[in-house]
Parts: sequence; C-alpha cells; structure tokens
Amino acid sequence: MDNISTIKNENLKEESFLHVLENGLKVYFVPKKGFTKKYAVFATNYGSNDNVFVPIGEKDPITVPEGIAHFLEHKLFEEKEGNIFNRFSELGSYVNAYTNFNQTAYLFSCTDKFYENLELLVSFVQSPYFTDENVNKEKGIIAQEIKMYEDNPSWKVFFNCLRGMYQNHPVRIDIAGTVDSISHIDKETLYKCYNTFYHPSNMALFIVGDINFEKAIKIVDDTIKRDRNNDIQEIDRQYPIEPKEINDRYIEENLSVSTPLFNIGFKDYDIGYDGDKLVKKEIMTNLLLDMLFGAGTKFYEEMYESGIINNSFGAQFIASKTYSHSIIGGQSDNPKEVAKKIIENITNLKEKGLDEEDFIRIKNKMIGHHIMNFDSLEYIANSFIKYTFNNTTLLNYLNILKDIKFEDIENRFKTHFTKDNYTLSVIKPN
Amino acid sequence: MLNRTREKINDGVYLNVINTDKFKTELISFYLILPLDKNEVTSNTLVPLILKRGTKKYKTSLDIERRLEELYGSDMSVSVAKKGEKHAIRFSIEGPLEDFVSSDEILKNKLEVLKEVIYNPLLEGDGFNKNYVTQEEKNLKDRISSRINDKKQHAVTRCIEEMCKDEAYSIYKFGYIEDLDNITSTSLYKHYLDILKKARIEISIVSNVDNNMIKEMIKGFFPFNERKSLTLKREKVVFENIEEKIVQEEMNINQGKLTLGYRTNIPYEDELYSAFLVGNYILGGGPDSKLFINVREKESLAYYIYSKAYKYKSLMLISAGIEFDKYENALRIIKEQVLSMKRGEFEEKNIEQSKRAIITSIKTVGDDTFSISEFYLSKVLSGDDKDIDELIDSINKVNKEDIIAAMNKIMLDTVYFLKNQ
Repeated sequence: MDNISTIKNENLKEESFLHVLENGLKVYFVPKKGFTKKYAVFATNYGSNDNVFVPIGEKDPITVPEGIAHFLEHKLFEEKEGNIFNRFSELGSYVNAYTNFNQTAYLFSCTDKFYENLELLVSFVQSPYFTDENVNKEKGIIAQEIKMYEDNPSWKVFFNCLRGMYQNHPVRIDIAGTVDSISHIDKETLYKCYNTFYHPSNMALFIVGDINFEKAIKIVDDTIKRDRNNDIQEIDRQYPIEPKEINDRYIEENLSVSTPLFNIGFKDYDIGYDGDKLVKKEIMTNLLLDMLFGAGTKFYEEMYESGIINNSFGAQFIASKTYSHSIIGGQSDNPKEVAKKIIENITNLKEKGLDEEDFIRIKNKMIGHHIMNFDSLEYIANSFIKYTFNNTTLLNYLNILKDIKFEDIENRFKTHFTKDNYTLSVIKPN
Repeated sequence: MLNRTREKINDGVYLNVINTDKFKTELISFYLILPLDKNEVTSNTLVPLILKRGTKKYKTSLDIERRLEELYGSDMSVSVAKKGEKHAIRFSIEGPLEDFVSSDEILKNKLEVLKEVIYNPLLEGDGFNKNYVTQEEKNLKDRISSRINDKKQHAVTRCIEEMCKDEAYSIYKFGYIEDLDNITSTSLYKHYLDILKKARIEISIVSNVDNNMIKEMIKGFFPFNERKSLTLKREKVVFENIEEKIVQEEMNINQGKLTLGYRTNIPYEDELYSAFLVGNYILGGGPDSKLFINVREKESLAYYIYSKAYKYKSLMLISAGIEFDKYENALRIIKEQVLSMKRGEFEEKNIEQSKRAIITSIKTVGDDTFSISEFYLSKVLSGDDKDIDELIDSINKVNKEDIIAAMNKIMLDTVYFLKNQ
C-alpha cells in the first residue's frame, strides 16, 4: 500500500508503520508476531491540563470545570442505544479508557475479531451522546471514584507534592476534579470540549499485535466520520505563566496509614520543548536519578542500613513540554531527615563529581529495561501514544539512550537539582 | 500453543521448561512451597528478605544490585504468596535474552546470581548475618503494619480473616508482628535449612533455550542434598450449615469498603467448577455484569464493584466502595443480584459473553513470561493437567442449567464493612 512510512530499530528488532488519513488522523502499527493478544488505542491529545482554551469556531478562551476531560471519557461510553461495554463483551474483548494530564485514551484488547473491535472503537469514540440525565447520573459514580482516590495515600502524597511545586500550572489540579467542580459540568460544555479536542487531526490511533495493517487502515478509513470539518486547525490552549519558584517547601496531611509516606519533588525549569530533545532530557534525568539514589548506590545502601528508608524508596522523572519534575518517594519514619540526606548527597556529589563507572552500569541497565518492555503490548501501545503526542517516536528511544554521554549527565546534574527547587510532601498517620 | 516439559529432578523437585521464541526476555522462577502454618509464616516471609541482602560472593545488596545492573538490568525479585492453604516463596530473575544485548552467557550469569541468593547465604557463626536479620525484621514489621494503607485490599483481607477464623486460610501471608520477637539469626537459618529439605520445589524457565542444556545447567548449579519432601494437603472447601456473620470496623476514611464473602462449596476438581466461573463472571466479572449494571450504572452507588473467585479455597468475594450511609441499600441490591443468579435470571447472551471473556483471558496467558510461569504452577498445585485447549473446552461446554446448579451451592458467610469513625 502507498503512503505507509516505516521506522525500524535493528537492535530492538522492531518496526513501526504510519499511515496518515486525509483528515489528519495518524494511524500507527507495530507488528508482534506470535502474540495472541491484539491491542488498539484511540487517543486524543487532550487531558486534565487543557482547562483553558478557545473552543472550535469561537474567538474567546473559556475556562472549563476541573475534571471535565475525565468526565468526558466516562460519558463517551454511553451511546443512544445504551452502554458500549456490552458491544465489546459480545466480541469477547476487554475495553477501557484512561485520562491523564495530557491525553485521553480509549483502548481494547482482544484475541479474536480484531477488525470488528477496531471498527467499534473508532465509531464509539466518534459518537458522543450527552443528555442532562446521563450527565447527572455520572456525577454520582465519579464522586465515588474521587472518594476512592481520597483514601489512597500514594495518590494523595503525589498530588500534594504537585501542588507544592506548582503555583499556577494546571498539573496541580486533580485529574478527576473535585466533587464540587464536577457538579458544574453540563452537556453543553462537554460538547464544546468534545468538538474542540476530538478532531481526528488532534488524535492518534495505535495498533499492536499479529494483524494485517492494510486491512486495519481500510476499516478505520471507512469508519471515520466524513461530515466533520476536514480543515486542520491548531487548537489554542492557554496555560498560565508558571514562575520558576516552587509554591510550598513543605506540605503535610494526615490519613489512616501505618508509617509516613513522602514525595520529594524537584521542579524543572528547563522546559518549553518536545520532540527528541525532550526524550533525551527524560532519559538523562532518569539515568541521573538512578546514579544518585538507585539501589546500586552507596547512598541507598547507607540509608537502607540505617533503617530510614526501605525498599519502597524510588525515583522517577516526568517529562512534558510545559512542565517537568523529578519525584523521589517512599515510606519513612522521618521524611524530613530523608530530604536532608538527599540534599546533602546532591551537594556532596556536585563537589566530588559523578562516577563514570556508575554511568556505564546504569546505562546498560536502562538499555536492558527498554528491551524488556517490548515484551508488553500494553507498554508499547501506551508509551507509543505518549511519545507521538510529544512529537517523537518510541522507536527513537534506544538510539537516543545509546548516544548519551557521561558529559551530558554531568551537565544535567548541574542544573536540575538545587537546594531551592524542591517540595517535600508528607502523609502522616492520624 | 505453549511447549512445556516437566521433569522430576530430585525428591519433590521439579523442573518445568517452557520453550518459546516470541519474547525478548527470559524468566527463571524458583518456588518453595510449604503448608500455610501460623507458626512458620512469619519466618517464611523473612527468609527471602534476608537472602536478598547478601551472599558469600555478593556480600551486600549493593553487590547484588550492581551485578544485576551489569547483566543489563536483569531483575531479581522475591515474594511470598498464599496459594490456598499453601505458602509459596518465590525467587525470580528476569532479564534480556542474549540475542538482544552484547553479553555472552547471560543466562548462565543470571542463574549464578539466583543460585548465590538461594544456596549461598552470607552467614555469621551458625546463623544468618545478624545485622541483616535485625534490619529486615524492622522492615517486615513495617510491611505488616502497612496492610491498612490500601483500604480496598484491607477490607478483602479482613473479610477472609473473619470468615475463615478457624482455618489455615485466615493466616496473613506476611505473618505477625508478635512472632518477629522470637526469631533469631540462628533459629531463622535453621528454619531455612529445614525448608530447603522439606519444601516442594518447582523451578520454571520461560526462554528459548535447549531443554537438555538448561536441565544440565540447573542440576549443576543447584545442590539438592538431603531432600525429604512434605506432602501438601488439600484444603477443606465444602461447608454445610453456614451462619451468616456481619462484621463492621471503623477507620478514619472517606469511602466505605464493603466486602461480601461467600463459600462456593464447589472444589476446583468438581465438574461444576467451570460453570461456577461463568456464573461468577455474569454476576460481577466485568462492566456488563449484573453487579456493575445494577449497583453502578443504575443506582450510581459505586465506582468499583466486582466479584472474584478464589480457586484453591472455593471462595467468592464481592467488593465495592460506597458512601457510608448507602450500606443497607448496596447490600440489598447485591444480595438481590446473587439471588437472581440462583433463580436463573440471566440470558443465553450473558452466558456467551462471559464465556468469551474467560476464554480470552485463558488464551492470553501465553503472552507474558510471568503469567506462563504462574499458570503452570497453579496447574501443578491443583494437580490438573488440562492444557489450554482443554481448559477452553471445559468453559465452552458450560450450559445454563450447570450455572444455576453452581450458583445454588454458594452461601453467604460474612459481610464485612469498613466505615468511618
């Protein structure tokens, strides 16, 4: 078939295919021979962060209630004829969806009848059906989802940390909103969000498994709505100006837990770009975090042996175009002491310098992990979508990682961690 | 279809090799299986935590970790799990296949780390290293106390504890804080030697290697001396005259967690077991189940509600997160749905959909190395030699009458509700 572009990675022995439809929808495919499961994700580049925007066909920006992207995700499962779950069940497949800060994704996994499932996925995401009644009904369900998260200490400690780091950026808002904010959601606003962000040119479809891509493209092409405006427009999303400084140095809350939980968040101010450059920053920072705090460091060993941390201790860097941060978290009887030791470790190593042998080991480890991840269809699909919306591709990851040099890490270390750019969030037993 | 060979390589020691070339990783799991015994469960949990701390060759966790990093981030994990009234200690190592990394003998090197951890612990006098024991006792104490952190899981665990009060199945898989005081580095090492002698050992390897080669490697690496394997007992799973219990507990929380514990009275060996699985799915298996539709979609009472089967002990647990004051309402609707299953108020369509969902999950077992390993372990533990096709066949054969018969055997034992203070 014409108009299919390919990216290959020889080391991974994987390749991806891309076909772009007339209306701008990108359809991707990664073949996995021998796997029984087949998996597809239909996602829009729209998440809880997109709270202020100019609706399609209008001139002025509007501010929508917190949690509306997630609410919309719930509501798309409702069709005029009833619930879409049932239709997927008839095909023996599993359907689900998720909303995060930047994306909303609808997915299914199946073993049989892949093409029928695909058609169903593409058509239901394109068929919003909101009524006053079904919108109101959903408020009760989502209120219970919000309350479920309120009882989840790991979730709470993470969001409190985000609120400590960010003064204005919407990443500080709960993805599902609050019981109060969702009470203001109505069907008119839902349609506005839908019409703006669910245009095919703002979406991507990703398929992974042992299937025929050309046949899949045909199904998608036949199912995609023709009556939608084919003019591809840039969506005007507005983000508030976020100062470099953190919002709060320390945040504490009490919940029913046995030992305190903590998140230490380092706010990154080297932001404003995406693409391969963003992937490189993500890999460098994760590599650095492992060199500083990983289970293979003297720091970890000393902290673990003194009993101040346990094996729940870990660190991760989250990279996005408009915000980025490192989070170091775990359980400890004395989180303030942990934070102090972390800062001391950073200060010491900035004086002493990093060790190149550590760099080589951790780099090998990350290469291995990336290869291992390709055994999971879910990982491939969900990461692929994330990288696509960041204007790059998952298949570049390994080459970018291999090209990273020790000097890159040393430079990154100089700028990312300082004594002033961190927040400590703690959940204490009540 | 998966290609698996199983061979006895010593008294109570079995090697399971699953050969496949579709993965980029290989997994080796070493299981020690023991009876679930209140006096031993705490020690059983502590042992792998100590073993991961250091060996004669790799004296510290740091040494082990750095070795794993050199092996391209191979991951060594340990766990303990309850498999019915059996306690399974698992040691696994998983890492990339040789073909994907420039490293010769990576399988041999992974096995070497695993052998060091299991068979060559760092000792001090006639026991484990004392510091390691003290530190890991504290970590385990914290781990046990933190069982309250996950409220959904806590409600399920508490329900089982109350329901099976006088049975081994009530034992908490990580053990008990009060028992930690009596464990010393010497007594724990003695216990470990005893485990190595008496536990049933199952080793499984999911990789693309030659069966004979791997067999010789395993035999060369692991010294199975002085074996005297225990026989593992089948759980009691059939109960008559059950008296319904209600247990309510309080905690400072935002959402009530309701769990209903049922005895199914259908052993997994029973012909009705497949029918029960289908019935359980119709009741609370997915988003088109009776519970989901009636409790969530119609009444907006919950975000999550599901029913889950516990194979070895023949239990069925229904769980939901609800408003505190909706307890009576939710309980009534849930009971009504169970009753409607017993009365056969479901369609042929529900049966077909549930069968398909169950079959899909059986078919995809082979897409993940860890699921493959656990799948074969569960077959061994339940003495069931049905392959994947036969399992699918047994689900396909289920009819409505069987489901009604199966659902009429289930009995409500305990209603557990975790509410706010």
